[in-house]
Amino acid sequence: MAHQILRSSRIASSTRVAQRSSRVHAVSVRCAAAPADVMLEVKDLTASIAGTHTPILKGVNLTIRNGEVHAIMGKNGSGKSTLSKVLVGHPDYEVTGGTAVFKGKNLFEMEPEERSHAGLFLSFQTPIEVPGVSNVDFLRMACNSRRKALGHPELDPLEFYAYIMPKLEMLNMDPTFLNRNVNEGFSGGEKKRNEILQLAVLEADMAILDEIDSGLDIDALRDVAKAVNQLRSDDTGVLMVTHYKRLLDYIKPDFVHIMQAGEIVKTGDMSLVDQLEAGGYATL
Amino acid sequence: MQASTSLGSACRTQLAGKRVVSGHRYPNARIALKPAKSGAVASAVVAEDKWLARTVKEVATPSSLAALREQSKSALATLRMPTTRNEDYRFTDIAPLLRTNVQPAAAGAAVPSELLAAHELPGAAARLVVVDGVLRPELSSGLSGLPAGTYVGPLAGAPEAVKQKLGSLSNSRGGPFAVLNGSLVPEVLVVAVPAERQLEGPLFVLHLASGATGADEVAANAPRLLLHAGTGSSAELVEEYVALPGGRRYLTVAVGELFLEAAASVRHSYVQREGEGSFHFKSTLVHQAERSQYTLAEASVGGAIARHDLVIQQGGPETHTQMSHFLLCGPSQTHDLHSRLTLDHPHGTANQLHKCIVSHASGRGVFDGNVKVNRLAQKTDAGQLSRNLLLVPLATVNVKPNLQIIADDVKCTHGCAVSDLRDDELFYFRARGISAESARQALVFSFGAEVIQRMGHPVLQKRVQDDVSRTLLSAEPFAASA
Ligand SMILES: Nc1ncnc2c1ncn2[C@@H]1O[C@H](COP(=O)(O)OP(=O)(O)O)[C@@H](O)[C@H]1O
Ligand SMILES: [Mg+2]
Repeated sequence: MAHQILRSSRIASSTRVAQRSSRVHAVSVRCAAAPADVMLEVKDLTASIAGTHTPILKGVNLTIRNGEVHAIMGKNGSGKSTLSKVLVGHPDYEVTGGTAVFKGKNLFEMEPEERSHAGLFLSFQTPIEVPGVSNVDFLRMACNSRRKALGHPELDPLEFYAYIMPKLEMLNMDPTFLNRNVNEGFSGGEKKRNEILQLAVLEADMAILDEIDSGLDIDALRDVAKAVNQLRSDDTGVLMVTHYKRLLDYIKPDFVHIMQAGEIVKTGDMSLVDQLEAGGYATL
Repeated sequence: MQASTSLGSACRTQLAGKRVVSGHRYPNARIALKPAKSGAVASAVVAEDKWLARTVKEVATPSSLAALREQSKSALATLRMPTTRNEDYRFTDIAPLLRTNVQPAAAGAAVPSELLAAHELPGAAARLVVVDGVLRPELSSGLSGLPAGTYVGPLAGAPEAVKQKLGSLSNSRGGPFAVLNGSLVPEVLVVAVPAERQLEGPLFVLHLASGATGADEVAANAPRLLLHAGTGSSAELVEEYVALPGGRRYLTVAVGELFLEAAASVRHSYVQREGEGSFHFKSTLVHQAERSQYTLAEASVGGAIARHDLVIQQGGPETHTQMSHFLLCGPSQTHDLHSRLTLDHPHGTANQLHKCIVSHASGRGVFDGNVKVNRLAQKTDAGQLSRNLLLVPLATVNVKPNLQIIADDVKCTHGCAVSDLRDDELFYFRARGISAESARQALVFSFGAEVIQRMGHPVLQKRVQDDVSRTLLSAEPFAASA
């Protein structure tokens, strides 16, 4: 993973912005110079709700390269969370067509835990509570599962404390969080911090952040954004789902996509966001 | 914690639970009770029921217990022990108990100090050690440090007004085992908290039972508790039931009567960790005056056949009742919870969480939970949830949560699941890289923790959780990880 190549690909991708922002559909443009740099490539993805077979995603195309930050915006119900969850293998949805390749591997042939081991992470819009399971046990299980899959030695409880303490600090989280049950009785903001703590513990390569900014006060937003920025590198990718510019002011996206009725209908840069703030979705 | 067998396939296939609808309550217990003649000498009454006749021998009756004994004995005369033909015992077959001969436990059983040391409750205001139903002051601690006006001790010394209440709930609403307790109980432990007193730290009642030696014999352990929480008072009661060393063959038949006056608050933890193979029948009868708050957390993990009859009456408006229960049924264990909560007044709240694991094909869980919101109980908020986990094929639960609403302006939630673990919980683990197998194991082991943690005593929680782990590790799906 040569540094230079990554840099050049970022330049290459920002030039694509200009070409693409005028298009209605986001078409993945192959970057012939450095094909190895694609982290996640979603093509013509369609998915429906398992059971009722109601189609939700109607052909999503999205390419995320190493080092890039992408943002997806769109009205409630346009399919942003569905896309996020389909990528990590949520059983509520069935993939009916298209492909998703993550670091060269077909995501849809992998179990959810294998996708996590491979470095894909979703911060859930509404993280569930798991009564009876302590946060520290959960985090350590998650951490050791990935370490085991990567062939690293597992961390014992003491080693794990040493590993997690700086991460708690980075997120301005009280260590007592570790002894509480997973998300049980957490405020909305605490749940979001806890998701980012999990991201930090897993050291994922590709983070999908579904509305990490909703329910956060300004201090919490700053903590969370700061942590995400610290976890970013030229080797990682970020896909943020958000409604608000304020998050994007902290975590600057290279690309902004607009999702509508299960498709990405427009792709551009931060100027799209300003346009949105000014006139709403109707003006796009 | 790595299971090498997959629970996944095992769990999805055996939804062996049945839902049972309809039923009368306590057909046998509709006993005409003669009014108590005070000072009457207990006369030997011959019970029609053969087992009862064998069981209820002449037991010493302190004069303070004469009235209760008399009432129980007359009730006993026409009582028949229930069989599975009785709706209330349809799924709880007590035949193994009825094949035994119940003997009185020898008085003054020795209690090893290691056993006491292993059953501490840090932070307790007092620990009351009750052996075979008799309070043993020499083994107890903290009694002298209780605040003035608070009475904890045998019935004879209790405040007169509290004494009067003995039997008033159990006589009218207790089942057959409550009657049996009245006939066998050697002594009553009274807890009386005066008005406006906030007791700091729980009162910890450790019940110990000794076993019988003869092959068909079981020793009788018939403890009884009477709690009175005065107006505006608050108290916490923790009850734990365990066996004395070697105690396998015994029958615990316990009664607790709890009276909460206006605005009183009582937290009650009840932990059933009886010896393997023992029988345990407990009746808890609670009367709550207006604005009182009763919170029960129960864990039932020991014994062979165990049943809890819980009867709670909200006697005034703005009264709050919270019940949570965890039952674990391992090999040859039947655990039964029958609860009845009645709301008759406006602005009450009631919440019940029932969780049950059956980990062996010979295990059975029974739950009949009735929450009745009567016509006058408007603006009530009631919730009831029963979650049952069957870990192996043929494991059985018979669950009948039932929320009866007669009032019309009531907020109720109601749910019952006889099924696998929650999919969303499992997925959350998997999304974080934890295999489905490890996730299942973690979720099963912590299934009861939600209830046990509500007791708020880590040491007690650990005792229960260790029992749970032992039972679960013997279960087929986890055996390989032992
Ligand atoms: N599990 C589900 N069951 C039923 N409908 C669903 C489910 N998940 C999503 N939907 C529906 O799919 C559409 C897209 O939802 P979602 O992806 O959550 O939108 P967004 O995150 O953009 O607000 C909505 O109409 C939503 O109601
Ligand atoms: Mg969403």
